[in-house]
Amino acid sequence: MSAKILTVDDALYMRKMLCSILDGVGYQTCEAPDGEAGVAAYEAEKPDLVLMDITMPGLDGIGAPKAIIEKDPSAKVVICSALGQQQMVLEAVKAGACEYVVKPFEPEKVLEIVQRLLSAAA
Amino acid sequence: MQVEFIEPFVRATFTVLSQVVSASPERGQLTLRDGNTFTTQELSTLLGVSGDIEGVALYGMSQVTALKIASQMLDQDVKEIDELASSALSELANIITGNATTHLETAGFQCDITPPSLINGSGIQVTTLCPALLVPVSSQFGKIDINVALRKTRKAA
Repeated sequence: MSAKILTVDDALYMRKMLCSILDGVGYQTCEAPDGEAGVAAYEAEKPDLVLMDITMPGLDGIGAPKAIIEKDPSAKVVICSALGQQQMVLEAVKAGACEYVVKPFEPEKVLEIVQRLLSAAA
Repeated sequence: MQVEFIEPFVRATFTVLSQVVSASPERGQLTLRDGNTFTTQELSTLLGVSGDIEGVALYGMSQVTALKIASQMLDQDVKEIDELASSALSELANIITGNATTHLETAGFQCDITPPSLINGSGIQVTTLCPALLVPVSSQFGKIDINVALRKTRKAA
């Protein structure tokens, strides 16, 4: 069975775009529009990897990975954010993110990271 | 309001428009808006900035330009600003502003941004913390006005 990837982003456009990139190469996808819904979707869907935005209403992409990793220390969270400040990258890494992609990104870049992290776990 | 605050937004707009919608942008004349209020164009996306500097960045455009940009982003002929088109335009503003804050960090200012809001409708008066600086950026999709009204906070002073 193909791996399942959860996309957490408040922008419908970005969720559709990421899911379409992932669908295109055969991954299963699911999505959530904010941090709280992302944590709930993680528990319900048990995805193999999470793509997470930072700037979101409510629980953001720093708080949500913390909540996910607290429940599942082996969770893999990749941040996809428009924010590229060093301080933000450091905060994300402290929150447990294993990779950080700055928007705008090339689809190939995201796929390369997803494939690498999933094959390392296999 | 310092001119150095708008330059990161103009640079980010050029980079993001080129990468996301393959635009060839051209920069217009920098102007300072008169007073702390200005009136919106047909469609605007607005983001708040907080941290070492605070205020708003607002990207204004005509409906025609908005439809052309959304069509390019969604790879389909967009005829109205529906939920998906609104989301695409908001995300474009989010990416531009996010990239601008990365440039601002290099200039010594740490700041964060809010999720974007989209204002669909012209003639709305926006009051800002300080007079906004405006740089129009033109491309094959039409003109986007970059309005930036930012001031240093006490933290940065």
